[in-house]
Parts: sequence; C-alpha cells; structure tokens
Amino acid sequence: MRSWRRSAAYRIAFVNFAAYAIGIALLGAVVFAVIHVAFTRQLDAMVSDEAQTLAGEYRSGGMTELNESIVERQAASNRMLYAVFAPDGRRISGSLRAARPALGAREIEFIDPVEGPDFARSTVVDLSPDARLIVAVDSDWLEQFEQIILIVFGVGFLGICLLGFGGAVVLGGYLEQRLRSISNSAQAIIGGDTRQRMPVSPRRDEFDQVAMTLNRMLDRIEGLLENLRQVSSDIAHDLRTPLSRLRTRLEQGMLENSSEAGPVLEDALRRIDEVLSLFGAILRIAEVESGETRRLFERVDLSALASELADSFGSSVEDGGRTLLWSVNPGVAVEGDRELIAQAGINLLENAQRHTPVGTVIRLTVVAAGNLAFFAVVDSGPGVPKVDLPRITKRFARLESSRNTAGYGLGLSLVDAVAKLHNGRLVLTSAAPGLSATLELPLAVESLAPTEEPKL
Amino acid sequence: MRILIAEDDRETAEFIRRGLDELGHEVLVAGDGTEALHLLLLEELDLAVIDRMLPRLDGLSVVRRARVAEVETPVLLLTALGRIQDRVEGLEAGADDYLVKPFAFAELAARVNALARRKPLQAQPTKLEHRGILVDLLKRDVERDGKAIQLQPLEYRILEELMRDAGKFVTRTMLLERVWNYHFDPQTNIVDTHISRLRSKLNEGGRPDAIETVRGAGYRMAGDA
Repeated sequence: MRSWRRSAAYRIAFVNFAAYAIGIALLGAVVFAVIHVAFTRQLDAMVSDEAQTLAGEYRSGGMTELNESIVERQAASNRMLYAVFAPDGRRISGSLRAARPALGAREIEFIDPVEGPDFARSTVVDLSPDARLIVAVDSDWLEQFEQIILIVFGVGFLGICLLGFGGAVVLGGYLEQRLRSISNSAQAIIGGDTRQRMPVSPRRDEFDQVAMTLNRMLDRIEGLLENLRQVSSDIAHDLRTPLSRLRTRLEQGMLENSSEAGPVLEDALRRIDEVLSLFGAILRIAEVESGETRRLFERVDLSALASELADSFGSSVEDGGRTLLWSVNPGVAVEGDRELIAQAGINLLENAQRHTPVGTVIRLTVVAAGNLAFFAVVDSGPGVPKVDLPRITKRFARLESSRNTAGYGLGLSLVDAVAKLHNGRLVLTSAAPGLSATLELPLAVESLAPTEEPKL
Repeated sequence: MRILIAEDDRETAEFIRRGLDELGHEVLVAGDGTEALHLLLLEELDLAVIDRMLPRLDGLSVVRRARVAEVETPVLLLTALGRIQDRVEGLEAGADDYLVKPFAFAELAARVNALARRKPLQAQPTKLEHRGILVDLLKRDVERDGKAIQLQPLEYRILEELMRDAGKFVTRTMLLERVWNYHFDPQTNIVDTHISRLRSKLNEGGRPDAIETVRGAGYRMAGDA
C-alpha cells in the first residue's frame, strides 16, 4: 500500500474528519462560555434580589430585624452567605468570613468553615453609613456543574474523534480501493491485456460513471487497434502468400535447370527470404506486443540462458575481432517466455557486434538486485548520441551512422516489446564511450529462494 | 515411403508432391481436412504433412482426431502464421514437427527424413560411428581415426546431431531447434560459427573434410550417399 501521506483518498477523509472535530470543539467552547455567563448572571441576580429583600427589612425593622432575618436565612440555606460590616471592618452580623468588601457585584474570596478559602459571587450594598451588607452565594456548585459538563463533553468529543478517525480510515480505504481497482485494470491493459475493462458495480455511482466512460474509451481504442492490427496482419499475410508462391516457383525453377540462370535465381531467392523474414519479424513484434503469449509463461533461468548465449556467441564475437566478457550471477530466474528472452538477448549481443568497430569489448552481465533481474550488454564502441537514445527502439529506426550496415532496425523494437511483455523495460544509456543496453525484468517470485526442480 | 500431403493450396501441394516424388516417395494428396482425416485413418502411411489451415476441418483438429483414434503416423504440421502460440498448440494437438511457410524444399525434405527415421523404436545406441569418426554418447568424447578430439559442449552437440542422421542433411533451423532449443530465426551466424569451429577441429592434421555444407540444404557428415 502507498504511504498515507501520499494518498489523496486518505487526505480527503482525514481533512474532512479534522474539520468536523475542530467544528465540534469550537461549538463546545461556545456552549460552555454561554452557560458559564448565564449561570454567573443568574447567581448575581439571586444575591442582588436577596440584598434588596434584606435592605427592605433593615428599613422597616432596623438592625435587629435584619440580624434575625439573617440568622434565620443562614439556618435554612447553606448556599447563601451573609454579613454586615461596620465602617471599621468589623462584622456586626452574619457568618460570612471575609474582609469588608467594596460596593458592587463581584467575585469575592472568603473562608469556608469546612473547605477553607473559597470563592463566591456577591453583591454589596450600604444599608446606612454604619452598615454595609454583603450577600454571597458559594460558586462551588457552579464549578462542579461546569466540571461535569467538561467531562461529559470531553468523553463525547473523544468518542466522536475515535468514530471520525475510524470513519476516515474506512472511507479512505474505500476510496483507495475503488481507485486501485481502476488503476489495476489500467495496469493490466498497459501490460497488454487489452480485453481487460474497469470494474463497474451495480450502484452506478461516480466511480462507476468514470469507469464506464473509461470502458467506452477503451472499447473505441481497442476497435481502432484491432482494425490496425487486422490491416497490418492482412497486409503481411496477403503479401506473404504471393511471395511464398514466388519463392516456390523460383526454387522449382532452380531445381529443374541449374543452367546459367542459377546464380540469378539463387540471388532472387535470397532477397525474397530477406523480405519474408522482415515480415516475420514485424508479425513477431506485433504478436509479442499483443501480450497473447503470456499464457505460455514459465520459470526461466536467466543465468543459464545468459551462459548459453555467451557460449554460443563467444566464438562468433571472437571471429569478428571483438571480445565478449561475461559475468553471470547464478540463480537469477524470471517468469516468462524462454525463447523470447533468448531472442532479446541475441538481438542485444548482435547489436553490440554489428554497430561497433573491430577491437570492441562487449560485456554481458546478469545480476539480481531488489526484485529485478538485470541482463546488461555494454560495449566499448562509439556509442549512440544521447538525442538518438529514445528513438532507437522505434520500429525501423536506424541511425545515420548505421545506414550501411545490415538490418532493418527491428532488433531493439523486439527487445523493447519483449521487455514490456514481461512487465520490464529496456534501458539504454551511454556507457561513455559505448552503449549500455539493459533488460530489466521482474524476478520470479520464488527466485529469492531458488529451488532445484527435479529433472526427469 | 507413403506420405500424405494435406494442403488446400494446389500450387504448394504440387510443389511438395513433385519434390517428394523425385526423392522416391509415394505421395497421396488431400485437399481438405475431412479427406485428410479419412486417409489418415484408412491408409497405411509412413508420414503425413498437414497444413494447419484446411477447409472443412482444420489441420489441428485432423491431428487431434487422428491421435484420439490411435493413429501414430508421424505428422509434420505446416503453417503460414508462424506465431509462438501456433507451434505450442500444434505440438499439444499431437504433431511431431512444425514448419513455417514459406520454406525451402530442402528444409521439408530434411524434416521428412528425420521424422521417418524416428519411427522404429530401436534401442538407443551408446556409440555413433561414421567413417573413422567415433562419438561415445556416454563418455561424451570424440575420436577421429583413433585420435581424441577436444570439443566445446555446443560443438559436441552439433556433431552428435549430425552423426545421428549421418549421411542425411540437417538444416540450420533443425540445429537451432535441437541444439539450442530455439524455435525462431535468430538472424545470426552462430550455427555457421560453431560448424566452422567443429569442422576445423575434426579436420585437423590435413584430414579430408568431415562435414559437407550444401547451400540451401544444410549440413551432413561427408563421404556417404
């Protein structure tokens, strides 16, 4: 699986989740603030009402009645606190233990007989110049209430986060899976299985719409390709038939009379065989590109194959005045078509001989690294100009410098097609000097722990 | 030998018929698949050359049905397509050899000879000898006129193939198939290179040429025929 950071599906899912989480947290904070202010105001109104009532009693009955009322109220409630202070700060009534406060509504600090220093909302009024009344209500319960709200909210928020996170993982996974099924199909098509189509679920959602559109596009492309293939194989086939007949005629003629026409007929035959083998090569590349031979794939010991090639070519390279050096790591195996890989290897070796001067050193290397097998042919010849490198695998591509050497420029096209058939690639680089051509093929799965197959 | 040719293209059929006739074979020609199958089932044949694409019943089905009916006649399948899959399908159907059209007659003749000789199931020889050249198949060593000759593995394999068919032509393509197991035209001179090395080793010391090369026909051990 790709990393989460690089997955758009997970990014969308997590950004969505984060937005919700932030929204919920903000909403919680606002609700909390509103509740806090509203309750504080209610407490303030409560103490203010109480102060008004007590002030009324002071006005009607004086200090004595006020004192009685305070004692009575203190006995009835443990939430409200009262005190009356003389101008010198002495408490002349009530049990609220606090310093003589300034006028107005505020939060004061007092000594709770049970809990020690504590806070309360209070209102302070002057009943007369000699008596300052303070009515306070312990804000303990408000704090407790707010704490409960915070805990409930916190637990809820955590739950929502977990749900959201889980949802994001599921959603991201779902999105990625839908996209991956499209990507897998595309990969299969690139690999040559042109019959493959994007999966469409019965839900007909946006993904299915995209898949259906892609499928229509693929149908159209396949139709065009099929036409093209049909036309080219028709041409190749239609031309092969009369050429075959011509060949037969010439050969018959040659067998019947070996007169002075003999050399001419022989030359004509050779030329017809050249054209026929060119058609054969074109049809072969088309067959490889169609990917149809993939069903014949088997385990191929690339090391053994390369050693055989080196044995086969060593002497002919030597006879041509060049040197073939090889270094083949044992046990490198790939999944594929042995003959096609051999043909690709032969083409690379032939190329290294055909386009280099006498005295060139050609190196053949087979190694495995990571999950790839490398079959490299590097020569010390003049090499290929960098601008031409991407061009030389195209069909019939020939460099100016090799116009007068044999071949039709199909060798590397076939190597390229064989590489792609095996989900690999042909990498051409300058070996400064010389050309380095490397066939990169995925290693066979069990190649990592090679097992000898019993030979019967 | 009695050879059946199943080929719908008259010109090709006639070309093969005349060629095989000249080599002294008795030739039967079938123009479509059902006729070919009938002849295969009813006639006593040494070999059948069957085109893959025949009217009424295709060549593959002819071979398959003949094999189901336990007809063991060696079959050489011809095809105009030459695709990788065709060869595999042909061999799976029960054909013994496979030749892509167009072909040189010499190629067909060499394969016909090779298939015909495959028939008698004699005990595998352990030594092959031909005009002073001795190949020990068990020890994998070679002598000429009593003198040991050191050969590279590929040279040995080529010599072995030539010796097995001593006196008969073996073509380049057949050597590629049998020695290298390549069923494609590699467009290289590897066969020629190894033949020439083999030849120079065999001929060392001014002995007469051991291998005869005939353009268009192939190679064979010299001195016979």
